[in-house]
Amino acid sequence: MGKSFREKLIPYTFVLPALILLALFSLIPIVIALVISFTGMDITGLGDLSQVKFIGFQNYTQLFKDPTFLQSIFNTGFYVIIGVPLVVILSLTVAILINSGQNRFFKFMRLIFYTPSITNTVAVAVVWTYMYNPSMGMINNFLGKLGISEIGWLTDPNVAKYALIILAVWKAIGLNMLIFLAALQGIPRSLYEAAELDGANWWQQTWYITLPSVRFSIFFVTVTTLIGWFQFFDEPFVMTKGGPLNSTNSVALFVYQNGFQNSNFGYAAAGSFIMFAAIIIATLIQFRLQKKQQGR
Amino acid sequence: MDTQGIHSASKTGKLTSGLILALWGFVTVLPFVWMFLTSFKTNIEISQMTQSFWPQHWTLDNYRNLFIDGNFGVYLKNTLIITAFTFIGMFLNAMAGYGFAKFHFKGRGVLFIAVLSTMMIPGQVTMIPVYLILYKMHLTNTLLGIILPSLVGAFAIFLFRQFMSNISDSIIEAARLDGAGEWYIFWHLIIPMSGPVLAVQGILTFIGGWNSFLWPLIIANDQKYYTLSVGLQLLQGQHTTDYGLQMAGSSFMVIPIIIIFLVFQKYILQGFSVQAEK
Amino acid sequence: MKLKKAMGYGMVAAASVLLLAGCGNSSTKSSSSGNSETLSFWYGGDADTAVKPIIKAFTKKTGIKVKVQSIPWSQYIDKTLTATASKSGPDLMVTGTTTMPNSVASKSLMDITSTVKSDQALNPNKFFAGSEATTKFNGKYYAVPWYVETRVLYYRKDLLKKVGYNHAPKTWAQLYDAATKLSKRGKDMYGFNVDAAEPTFGFMFARQNGATLLSGKKTQFNQAPMVGALKYLNKFVQNGASPKQDLKLSIGQSFGGNGRVPMFISGPWMMQSVKTDAGLKSSQWGVAELPKGKANNMSNTGGGNLSIFRYTKNKKNAMKLLKFMSNKENQLKYYKTSTSMPTLKAAWQDKALSDTNIQVFRKQLNSSQPMPLIKQWDQIGQNYLKAWEQIALNNASVQKTMDTFNQQTEQLLNK
Repeated sequence: MGKSFREKLIPYTFVLPALILLALFSLIPIVIALVISFTGMDITGLGDLSQVKFIGFQNYTQLFKDPTFLQSIFNTGFYVIIGVPLVVILSLTVAILINSGQNRFFKFMRLIFYTPSITNTVAVAVVWTYMYNPSMGMINNFLGKLGISEIGWLTDPNVAKYALIILAVWKAIGLNMLIFLAALQGIPRSLYEAAELDGANWWQQTWYITLPSVRFSIFFVTVTTLIGWFQFFDEPFVMTKGGPLNSTNSVALFVYQNGFQNSNFGYAAAGSFIMFAAIIIATLIQFRLQKKQQGR
Repeated sequence: MDTQGIHSASKTGKLTSGLILALWGFVTVLPFVWMFLTSFKTNIEISQMTQSFWPQHWTLDNYRNLFIDGNFGVYLKNTLIITAFTFIGMFLNAMAGYGFAKFHFKGRGVLFIAVLSTMMIPGQVTMIPVYLILYKMHLTNTLLGIILPSLVGAFAIFLFRQFMSNISDSIIEAARLDGAGEWYIFWHLIIPMSGPVLAVQGILTFIGGWNSFLWPLIIANDQKYYTLSVGLQLLQGQHTTDYGLQMAGSSFMVIPIIIIFLVFQKYILQGFSVQAEK
Repeated sequence: MKLKKAMGYGMVAAASVLLLAGCGNSSTKSSSSGNSETLSFWYGGDADTAVKPIIKAFTKKTGIKVKVQSIPWSQYIDKTLTATASKSGPDLMVTGTTTMPNSVASKSLMDITSTVKSDQALNPNKFFAGSEATTKFNGKYYAVPWYVETRVLYYRKDLLKKVGYNHAPKTWAQLYDAATKLSKRGKDMYGFNVDAAEPTFGFMFARQNGATLLSGKKTQFNQAPMVGALKYLNKFVQNGASPKQDLKLSIGQSFGGNGRVPMFISGPWMMQSVKTDAGLKSSQWGVAELPKGKANNMSNTGGGNLSIFRYTKNKKNAMKLLKFMSNKENQLKYYKTSTSMPTLKAAWQDKALSDTNIQVFRKQLNSSQPMPLIKQWDQIGQNYLKAWEQIALNNASVQKTMDTFNQQTEQLLNK
C-alpha cells in the first residue's frame, strides 16, 4: 500500500484529542489505583505517603475470605443476569412502540419515558420508598385489592433485590429507548415497502427488518448496560444501604463503603479491580459474539 | 423523505401500541409528576401518613427558600459556562468515534479497549488520583480544572463509533475520489449524517454539564466556581433532609433539560437520510 | 441544513463563553493570589445565614479578611480527603467530632496544644468533658470544641399518658414496660424505636449497662454488659414493641398523627423537624433524659470542632479567628443562627437557652461521652449494624453473634 506517512497519521488526529484527555484523567488514575490495590493504604497513608506499605496480593486474598464481599459478588451477578436482558428488551419494545406512530401523542411519549432519567435521586428515593412501604405503600395497597398479601419489598431479603431491579429498569429505559429510536430512524423506508409488497405483516417486518437493522445498537446497549449493572450502585445506596442482611449489597457499594466510609483505600481498590476483571471479560465475550454474528 | 425510518403500523396496530404506551407511560411518569407536585407542598404535608397526590395547600415557600442564597446568579453563570464547554467535548467524542469506526490503524483494537476500560472502574476509586494530577498541573481552583476531567467520555465515544459504523464506506470513498480532505468529509458529510445520534448525545451532554456536581465542588477552593447542583446540596442539613426544598430544586433544574430535550428530539424524529445530503 | 446551522450557533456560543471565561478567570486569579492575608475557612452546609454574621464581625474588629467556603455535608469528607492528599486546603475548618480520629491520623490538623494550655479562653475545663475528649489525642490537642450534640429521648406525652405514664420512662424497666403497652394499640403500632440504622445505638445502651467498650486494643463486646444490653434491646424487637428494621418513614409518619413509633432517641437536630413537620402541638410531645440502665444513662456526644489545617501559611491569623469564634458571645450568636448548641458551659446560663426542652439537653450533657475515638470506629459501627441485623431479623443468638463481632473487631484493630 502506498499510503504516505501523512495519510497514516490522519486517523490519529481524530482519536488523539479524546485519548489524551482520557489517558490523563482516567487511564493514569486507574493505573495509580491499581498500584494502591497492592498496598495497605489507609487514612494515615493518605497524609503521609512514607507510611504506605506494599503488601502484595494480601488485599486480594483477604477479599475472597470476606463473606460480605462474596455475597456482594453473588448479588452483582444476580443483578447483571436479570437486569441486562430486561433493560435491553423493554427499551427496544418501547422504542418500537413509539416509532409505530408519528403524531403528537407518540412524540409526547418519548418525553414521558425519558422523565425517570431526569428525576432527581432524592425524589426517586422518596417516592419509591413510599410506594414500596409494606403497610401503606401504593403497590401493596393495589396488590391487596387483588387479594395478594403484603410483600416486604425492601425489608424481605428475598424480595429486596427484585425491588431494586424494578427501580433500576424503570430508570434505565429512557436513555436506551432514545438510542434505539435514533437507530430506527436509519432504516430505509424502501425496505419496509418492499416487504409490504411481498405481503409481510407488521410482526414479520419487525422481526426480519427492524431487529437486524438495529443490531449495532442492540450490541451497544447490551455492552453499556452490562458495564452499568456490574457497577450497580445508586439504587442500593439510596434505598437499602445494602441491607437487609446484605441481600442487596453490590460490589460497587462494597467498594464505596470500604474506600470512603472506612478509608481502606487499598482494600477498596483491590475490590474494584476484581470487578474490573469481570467486566472486561464479559465485554470481550460480547465483542467476540458480535464478530461471529457479523461473520455469518 | 420525512417518513424515513418510520415503520408505520396499521390503524388497529397503532391503537394497541398507543394504549400500551399510555398505560406504561402513566406508571413511568408518576414519580416525576410526584416530585413536581410535592415541590408545592409544605413539609408538614410531605411527612404525613396519608399523602394526597395533589397538594392540599399550595405553597411557593420551597421555591422562595431556594433563592435565599444570594449566590444563585453566580451558580447559574458557572453552570452555563460548564455546559457550553461540554459541547466542545461532544465534538471531540464524535471525532474519536469516527476515527474508531472508519479508519484502520495500528493499535485500534487495543486503544478502543483502553477507552472502554475507563468505564469499568468506579469514580470513587480514581477521584483522589485525578485530583492529585490536576493539582500537579496547577489546575485546582480553575475553571479548566473543573471542565477537563469530564470533557470526554467512553460512553459517548462508543456511541458515536457504533452509529458511524453504519454509514456506508462507499459514500466516504466517493468523496475522497472527488478530492475532499478527511476533515472536510468529517464536518460536511459525516456530522450532517449523524443527526439522530448527535441529538441523543446532545441531550446527554447538556444534562451532564447542567448537573455537574463533583468536580466543581472538589476543584474549587472558592464558592465562585460552584454550580447550581452544588448550591442545591448546600441547603441540606447535616442530619436532616428538607424534602420540599429538594423537590423544588430538582423541579427547577429540570426545566431547561425538558426544553433541550424537546429541541433536540426534533432531530431524532426527522431522520437524516443518506440521499438527502446529495 | 437546519441542524448544521444550529450547531454553528452552538460553536460560536461556546467559543465566546470560552473567551469570556478566560478573561474572567485571569482577572479573578490575580486578585486572589495577590492578597495572602485573606483567611480561608471551610464550613459544612450553607454558611450565608449561620456564620457570615460572626465572620463579618471578626473582619470588622481585626481587619483580617476571611473567605468562607461552604461545602455540602454529603461531600465534606471527600473534600477534606483531597485537601489532605494534596496538602493544600483551608486555614481554619470545621471538623465533625466523629471524623476527628481520621483527620488526626492523616495528619491534616495542626497540633495546638501549647496555645490550648496557655490561653485561658481555650482552657479545656471550660468546655463539656464529652466535647473536650474529641479534641485530645495522645495527650495533644488538635481542635477546640465549637458546637455539641447529645441524644435524648423524644416521646409522645399524650400517648404515654394513655398507658399510665405521666412522665417519660426513667429506667430501662419503665421504658420496656411503656413500649410494650404502647405496642398493643394495634397492627403496625410500636412503642420504641430500637434504631437499626444508627451505628452507635447498641454501644450507647451497653455503656448504660456498665460496659467499657475498648480498653487499649482489648475489645469487650462479647462480655456481659454489652451482651446484656443487646438482649434487652432484642426483647423490644422480638415482642413487637420495636420495628425490626428501619421503617424509612418521615418524622410526621412515625411520630406524628397516631404515633406509630411514639418514642425514639435522637439529637437536637430533630427538634426543628418535629416542630415544623410532625404537625403536633407542643403539649403532645416532649424530650427527656435517657432512661437509666444498670450503671448510668450515658448518651452519645457528637458535634463539631474548630481546627487549624496543618499546612496553613496563616497560622497566627487562623488562631485569632478560632479564638474569636470560640468565645461565649459568638457561640451564643451561632446558636441563635443555627440552633447548634454551645460547647462552653458558661454559655448555657444565657436566657437564649432557657427553654425547658433545651435544658434537657443541657442536663444530658452531664452524662454523655463520644464513641471511642479511633480511626477504625466507623467500620466497627458498620459491622455492628450488620451484627444487629442478624440478631433482630434472624433472632440469632446474641452471645454467638457478639463473639464473632468481637473477634472481627480485634482483627481490625491489630491490622
